[in-house]
Amino acid sequence: MCEANVYLLKEGREELFMEKVDRIIPGEDNTLFMENIFGERRVAKAAIREMELVHHRIIIEEVSQQQINVGTEIWLDLDTDHGHFHEGEEVRLNLLKGYNMKADLDAVWESPQVILVGQSGRRQADLHLHSHIGHINLGKEADGLIQVYARETGEKELIAKLLVEVGHHHHHEMQHIGLPLEIMPCGYAHARMGENYEVQVLQNGQPLVGVELRATYANTRNRDYPHTMTTDQEGKARLFLTARGNYLFSVSNEETISTFTLVKSF
Amino acid sequence: MCKDMSPLEKAIQFHGHICPGLLMGVRAAELALEYLQVDLDQDDDLAAIVETNFCGVDAIQAILGCTFGKGNLYFRDYGKIVYTIFSRKKQQAIRIAQRFEALDDPNTKRYLALRFQEQLTTEEEAELEDLLALSFEWIMSQPLERLFHWRQVDVPELNKAEITPSVQCHKCGEGVLKNKAVLTDDSLLCPECRLSMEG
Ligand SMILES: [Zn+2]
Ligand SMILES: [Zn+2]
Repeated sequence: MCEANVYLLKEGREELFMEKVDRIIPGEDNTLFMENIFGERRVAKAAIREMELVHHRIIIEEVSQQQINVGTEIWLDLDTDHGHFHEGEEVRLNLLKGYNMKADLDAVWESPQVILVGQSGRRQADLHLHSHIGHINLGKEADGLIQVYARETGEKELIAKLLVEVGHHHHHEMQHIGLPLEIMPCGYAHARMGENYEVQVLQNGQPLVGVELRATYANTRNRDYPHTMTTDQEGKARLFLTARGNYLFSVSNEETISTFTLVKSF
Repeated sequence: MCKDMSPLEKAIQFHGHICPGLLMGVRAAELALEYLQVDLDQDDDLAAIVETNFCGVDAIQAILGCTFGKGNLYFRDYGKIVYTIFSRKKQQAIRIAQRFEALDDPNTKRYLALRFQEQLTTEEEAELEDLLALSFEWIMSQPLERLFHWRQVDVPELNKAEITPSVQCHKCGEGVLKNKAVLTDDSLLCPECRLSMEG
């Protein structure tokens, strides 16, 4: 006998969840896949709390949505659904505040600033706050690859970054901006669905090892970030892209919450 | 379109959604291209016989360019996920069959079970989305032999669709290919009108 009964701990009480389980596979995002000797299968959004193997008991606990710590963050997005801009086209961006790519419609802004970093150096961009959205217009002269970042004060410092591509370019070497906390794409190539995308987390320009990096995408049905990764020895993490549209990466430390918007053309 | 779309993106665009069936079709198309050593920019003489009309066929159409409209897609209604892809120019054909147990990974199974459930809670909808992402990565990263059986077969002999002039149906007045029209005692009818006369 090596199967066990799985109990779900709910508000301090144990409830039999599944009998005679002989297989438990932890999945991504706090899911547990379970299979029993009768061939039944269940998936729970839960974590293992205790295993009493002598008594064939496994106790799992639901990872409830309430436990998720919803912190406010800011992010940048293109004001086009096209993924990039053409030369001579007016380049417009939006700055948003909220969580998990869901904008807070009652967002209050303190002192947001937007900076452009391009081949000709850095300059501040005009930001027009209109209800909950910050509008940024780079005009029609923008060209090449521009790194845009925004900063906003709050309980923690909020940082958002995005790359704007105007016209079609093939290969670029990019330098980090040197933000207190920054997410950098590794190698600038078109991000594609069905492929891995790699980013690096930097703290004041230095790789940040072993930190939690989260990723989400536009219109997710998940209340919290659907993907969680940990940076490796080089401060890098990879994500296999499976959703249409843009992704948002987010990382935080004691003082800062920093996001990076990955713009996809599909 | 400004940027070249990847085969996968083309298939998703064409099909309108992402699902395990479509992704399996994408992998089958990838296998066919590799096996037949076809460069789609150069060769456009591929043809396909498909034994299913499920999602995966859309990947065959979008990626390999074998479509109903071009007449290089032949449908055999066998209810089997089997594709025979061939090049007349190269005189080569491959028959690709999805393995019976191809989609038995737990996430894909759970996805398919939920997918056919009538009503989903908000939590289940979120779960479905997560499962699809896991299934997506799983299907795209499996070795082809884990997903399909395949073998070389003879290039099928198929008749090109016969193109005949159109004639006008005496009843509805619509045009119909001459070889599809039915001549009755006193009139020329399209198959549709012919059927309704019988009914
Ligand atoms: Zn489908
Ligand atoms: Zn008619």
